[in-house]
Amino acid sequence: MSDPMTPKASPHATDAPPPADSALAGGKASAKAAQTAFPAAAAGAGAAKPGPAAAGGKPAEKPVAAKLDPGADYKSLPGIADEMMDTTGAVRPVWRPLLAALGRMDEAELANRFARADRYLRDAGVFYRAYGSTENSERAWPLSYIPILIADNEWQVLSRGIVQRAELLERMAADLYGENRLVAEGFLPPSLVAGNPEFLRPMVGIPPADGHYLHFCSFEIGRGPDGNWWVLSDRTEAPSGAGFALENRVATARAFSDIYAETHVHRLASFFGSFRETLQAGKRHPDDRIAVLTPGVANETYFEHAYIARYLGFMLLEGEDLTVVEGKVMVRTVAGLKPVGVLWRRLDSVFADPLELNQRSHIGTPGILEALRDQTVTFVNALGTGILETRALLAFMPRICRHLLGEELLLPSIATWWCGQQPERQHVAAELEKMVIGPAYSTRPFFDDNGQSVLGASLRDTAKASIAEWLASDGVKLVGQEVVKLSTTPAWVNGKLIPRPMSLRVYAARTRDGWQVMPGGFGRISSGEDAAAITMQAGGSAADVWIVSDKPVERISLLPPEESFIRTMPGSLPSRAADNLFWLGRYIERAEGALRILRAWHGRYAESADSSMPLLKMFTDYLAAVDIDTRQPVPDSLMANIDSALFSASNIRDRFSADGWLALNDLSKTVRMFQAHVQAGDDATHAMTVLLRKLAGFAGLVHENMYRFTGWRFLSIGRYLERGMHMTRLLGHMSEPDVPDGTLDMLLEIGDSVMTHRRRYNVNTVQLTVTDLLALDPLNPRSILYQLNEIRAQVEELPEAYTKGHMSPVYREAMRLHSGLAVTTTEAVDRALYTRLENDLERFSGILAQTYLN
Amino acid sequence: MDAKGIDEAFSTRMSPDEPGRTNPRAPAGPIDGRALKQSTMLYDITLRITYRYEVPVSGGRHVIRAMPLSIPGRQRLIAGSLTATPLPDERYDRQDFFGNAVTGLLLRKTHEKLVLRMQSRVVVESQTETVDLSPPLALLGADLDAVWSMTADSPHHFLGTSPRLGEDAAIAAYAREGVEADMSVLQIARRLCSAIHTDFTYDPKATTVDSTPRDAFKIKRGVCQDFAHVMIVALRALGIPAGYVSGFLRTLPPPGKERLEGADAMHAWVRVWCGPTLGWIELDPTNDMAAGSDHIVVAYGRDYSDVAPVIGVLKSYGSHETHQAVDVIPVKIGG
Repeated sequence: MSDPMTPKASPHATDAPPPADSALAGGKASAKAAQTAFPAAAAGAGAAKPGPAAAGGKPAEKPVAAKLDPGADYKSLPGIADEMMDTTGAVRPVWRPLLAALGRMDEAELANRFARADRYLRDAGVFYRAYGSTENSERAWPLSYIPILIADNEWQVLSRGIVQRAELLERMAADLYGENRLVAEGFLPPSLVAGNPEFLRPMVGIPPADGHYLHFCSFEIGRGPDGNWWVLSDRTEAPSGAGFALENRVATARAFSDIYAETHVHRLASFFGSFRETLQAGKRHPDDRIAVLTPGVANETYFEHAYIARYLGFMLLEGEDLTVVEGKVMVRTVAGLKPVGVLWRRLDSVFADPLELNQRSHIGTPGILEALRDQTVTFVNALGTGILETRALLAFMPRICRHLLGEELLLPSIATWWCGQQPERQHVAAELEKMVIGPAYSTRPFFDDNGQSVLGASLRDTAKASIAEWLASDGVKLVGQEVVKLSTTPAWVNGKLIPRPMSLRVYAARTRDGWQVMPGGFGRISSGEDAAAITMQAGGSAADVWIVSDKPVERISLLPPEESFIRTMPGSLPSRAADNLFWLGRYIERAEGALRILRAWHGRYAESADSSMPLLKMFTDYLAAVDIDTRQPVPDSLMANIDSALFSASNIRDRFSADGWLALNDLSKTVRMFQAHVQAGDDATHAMTVLLRKLAGFAGLVHENMYRFTGWRFLSIGRYLERGMHMTRLLGHMSEPDVPDGTLDMLLEIGDSVMTHRRRYNVNTVQLTVTDLLALDPLNPRSILYQLNEIRAQVEELPEAYTKGHMSPVYREAMRLHSGLAVTTTEAVDRALYTRLENDLERFSGILAQTYLN
Repeated sequence: MDAKGIDEAFSTRMSPDEPGRTNPRAPAGPIDGRALKQSTMLYDITLRITYRYEVPVSGGRHVIRAMPLSIPGRQRLIAGSLTATPLPDERYDRQDFFGNAVTGLLLRKTHEKLVLRMQSRVVVESQTETVDLSPPLALLGADLDAVWSMTADSPHHFLGTSPRLGEDAAIAAYAREGVEADMSVLQIARRLCSAIHTDFTYDPKATTVDSTPRDAFKIKRGVCQDFAHVMIVALRALGIPAGYVSGFLRTLPPPGKERLEGADAMHAWVRVWCGPTLGWIELDPTNDMAAGSDHIVVAYGRDYSDVAPVIGVLKSYGSHETHQAVDVIPVKIGG
């Protein structure tokens, strides 16, 4: 979603007459949007087929009179269309089964169902990012549980308009980045293209590799008071929300599983399946990878990028994962460079190549335009297609449609006048009361453009006079749009259904059989009666969209049919993902190491309350050397470690189970909570125990659930390496002969080896037995030797560790480290050996990074 | 938008060359803002740009715009070559949207030093004095409305804002000073050219290659890049299409001194669209003159970002040093 701020202006006028007539149609810039061939929606009471549309045998037509009676005092607002009620106040047939079902529930049951949806969203990790003045935060996904229902027959008509529009935009893109005849022949004013920041000159004359500029588009649409659908804005740059639409569907189906099962709701999976096939067909070579290209974890829709990549089984890549070699885009993986053939781009075009586009971009891939010139990679959608989103273009589309397609525009745009020409300017000034005036180059709908648009009716008289001046001086940069009142749809507010303004985002994908429209969409519902509050940042919510047929619908799953089953190994792991997994392992283990020492420290502090006693002092000094301050019961650096782990994990959300992600988030939240109130001593000991248990929970999830492939190996190596370093450093520090009383027992406790020591050695704790158990015991999972053995075993399985009888430098080093310590006797272990080993481990980490993680 | 991983590596945008920063004013002919009749000139031009890296680098990519253009009636490139040391692993040569010659290089192997060397021989035609056939400012809008074109020379590309040039109220007010209703577009442009020359002090230390026109306008100091940027913003504020020209300028040694090798520098000036009859006219605010046969054009663009001589991206852990040497040597024609 792209809802960073609240629009300041309300787009509502008190009245919303049909758009002005086409007195200006002779000019180059006229937008007459209303009286088109687009048929009226099934709005009137007589238009829709009476009777139970999809009741699955249930008596749907029975008057709604049950426990809740949710529709009893539902009244549509005057002069505004409503999705559920027709103009006579009757419930539309398609809504009746749902309303009847709601009527059979009591409040407790409904609350239960809503909670089911919320639980799903929480567990799946769906959230949205709120932008505050000081801090951005993740908020629970605001699902409006009641779906928006649209009858199949109405949807079919709408779909034809959407398909036509997608095709029109494709033809416009081909012209703008090709011969540019639309300007030369007077269909588009040149300043609208030449002055447009979305017009990317380096892309002119580069035809797309597969012949198509557009593959996936979305359209923000709304229903006007006359019942007709209007396009509020076209989304072609990097349309978002399709993944959220899927999540809304799953969550809503959880809440209303019985109703969903009985209603003939079109499924969404086949739409994504067809699109996946299109992308696969776009590869030039069988070896080519397909990837979703994301701007990175800081992007507000990053979750969706990860979700889509996982759902469709594509790699999730960032610009720095890619490099261009001899005109071919390659991904850096742990097994070397691999070719990429298709990039589903969620990155804005201008950031794609710092050499030729925005030179300040740090998230692009230098040289990627060269690959486009060589036609070795397909971008979905082509770079530069963002220009099609330009608000002022809406004014010219009817005429361009007639010119390019030889047809009338089926789905009208919201009435738009570009103020770069005199007649249009005068019209906008004269009809100011009904207008919203905004930037011509804006790519957002007027109710969601960061308050850049001004509502004519909201202006004082003095301001109105200056508007005329503004239009005269800056007309080229301005458009006037007629305000439409969006239709309302029921939302569940305070125990009943209330009509709330809504808009829909609908999707079209290019498939083998032409454009296909997703049978559903992403609904946005205002938090008040004003459409300005439709964005999530302004408190709006999201809703599922059910396209309801009166016949049973096809059910397709994205899983392949059984006969076509092939087992494939996971694709090559991108180096950046491997790097994040490796560091996730290290940070997690670093946190665990700190927790174990702190727990032992606070356990002893609880007995003496004297941090100056020699034993505690010694550990305090040790901890200070690794940046842990024992004066803080829950030290900041511990928090920082867990935050770093979380950050590493957030970079690879597509490779993470929702469970693992939740466990890690829970850990982070708990540390934060403890930090606020935990006291030194017993309280801290207890807190550390809780945290260790949660950490073990995360480790368990990884151990039990993560597929044993390259990614898991890097995570494991990170953990073993950090644990080995931790134990080496600790034992080295404590290996002097004159350590304070109790040091050895404390070491055993930190190494979780008190019981083992008791069982294995029939003597008191002495330096030699501790060294034997914590450094050299191959069976103790906390000993140094154990870590080295595991590292060696994992490295052996990494790509190219062992080729043609030769060990790679990384493998050789892992072998050397392990065998060196394996043949060392307890007596030979001294401080110098620990120091050497610590350096060796650091060096090994460097070689590993150089080989696989760069 | 910008998310950094744990990886310490960072990309460095190599600061592109800084035109004019080593070379104050140019030839100082007795030219007071008018194009004089000048003779056809033949030049041998060399440019050497040297990068020295503190820490050896690899995988650097560079896009170079340094080769003089061939422009019918203006100048002709007779021969030219652009080479790099070490030898690049990949190279392409093509034209960009505005018709400029672009060379792309990729250096995969580790290196501590990169030398780019451009050599060319160029004929620059003599320029006749411009007769002012430009329309009054009030009529320019109608002329613009009549141009339905998106070609590289279309004035529509050179209005409004561009990557490096936003709108600026202070510069717009400066542009409007002394503009009378009946003044022609060329008159206005020449006035601005002179005004900037008079009001601004040439000072290579006052600005950097990343300075905005506003920065330079505030202190009324800068180099040719700043003067050109300020003049473009001013012209566009009046609705006059204006673009950035990067190129070379022949300079004369101080009286009585030998010409020093490599003492010239890359230069920048402005071109102004003066209506359909006159078309594009080039003016040099640094020297308050029309660009004549001492000005050799390398690239046209909307602002510096379109024509930067070198745009480079590489991974680096250290800083780097740049050195630029230019020689514009007139060759005698026919003795």
